[in-house]
Amino acid sequence: MNLAQYIVEATQEVFTTMLMEEVSAGAPLETRNERFSDSISSIVGMAGANKGAVAVHSPVNVACRITELFLGMEVESLDDDVKDAMGELANMITGNVKGKLEEQGQDIRLSIPTTVDGDNYTVECPGKHEGTIVPFSFQDCRFLVEIHFE
Amino acid sequence: MSKILIIDDSSTMRKIVGRALRQAGFEFEKTLEAADGQQALDVLRETPVDIILSDINMPNMNGVEFLQAKNDDPALQSIPVVMISTETGSDILNQALELGAKGSIKKPFTPDLIKEVLGKIL
Repeated sequence: MNLAQYIVEATQEVFTTMLMEEVSAGAPLETRNERFSDSISSIVGMAGANKGAVAVHSPVNVACRITELFLGMEVESLDDDVKDAMGELANMITGNVKGKLEEQGQDIRLSIPTTVDGDNYTVECPGKHEGTIVPFSFQDCRFLVEIHFE
Repeated sequence: MSKILIIDDSSTMRKIVGRALRQAGFEFEKTLEAADGQQALDVLRETPVDIILSDINMPNMNGVEFLQAKNDDPALQSIPVVMISTETGSDILNQALELGAKGSIKKPFTPDLIKEVLGKIL
């Protein structure tokens, strides 16, 4: 099971299909980012035989740009539209990954997306976990997509 | 062409679906929206529509629970529903199809896919 590859394929499909934008994936990070500043994180939980989550971590200005691409309108600051768009981005990426994991025989159910944002916050990953975090870029924008299992 | 109801807890997705419908060449007299199944039932009892596009994973009343409730209402049970969701090949989508959903569209989707699926119904 190549979790990084699943994340790359899912993220690129969502961007190409729904945002008409190509995203480039970098090498998975060797250490997990836990602390974020001036950012927004959208998280979708996974339940079933294996429990975990997929999270999209993005600086606020990048989240605004992603929302502009989704909605085709100018977005100046973090608002409910941005939070909703980032939640839906995480939802579609997670749904795509879920399909790949189910092909491997895993039974997974998804939660409704949740978002957190702030100037300085931590997204913790309790307990021992298997996972990866992949950096992506488009235009001059960078964001992270993470998957982990307990 | 008539009226459509888009059910999704994401306002972003409701806007994207509306835009994709126009790009696919569908022009509706009225496009109604609801954020969950219960809100959709309330909308439908005020304004009947010709077709419904519904998400599956939603708070309050999800897409499967909405189908069950719609099927129990004689005034609503004949309205065709297409599921539009990240869920594909899953038990919950199969439940929706067993409850009478006329098709499914996987997110992410293209206007061409919407045209293909809705074209068989409208």
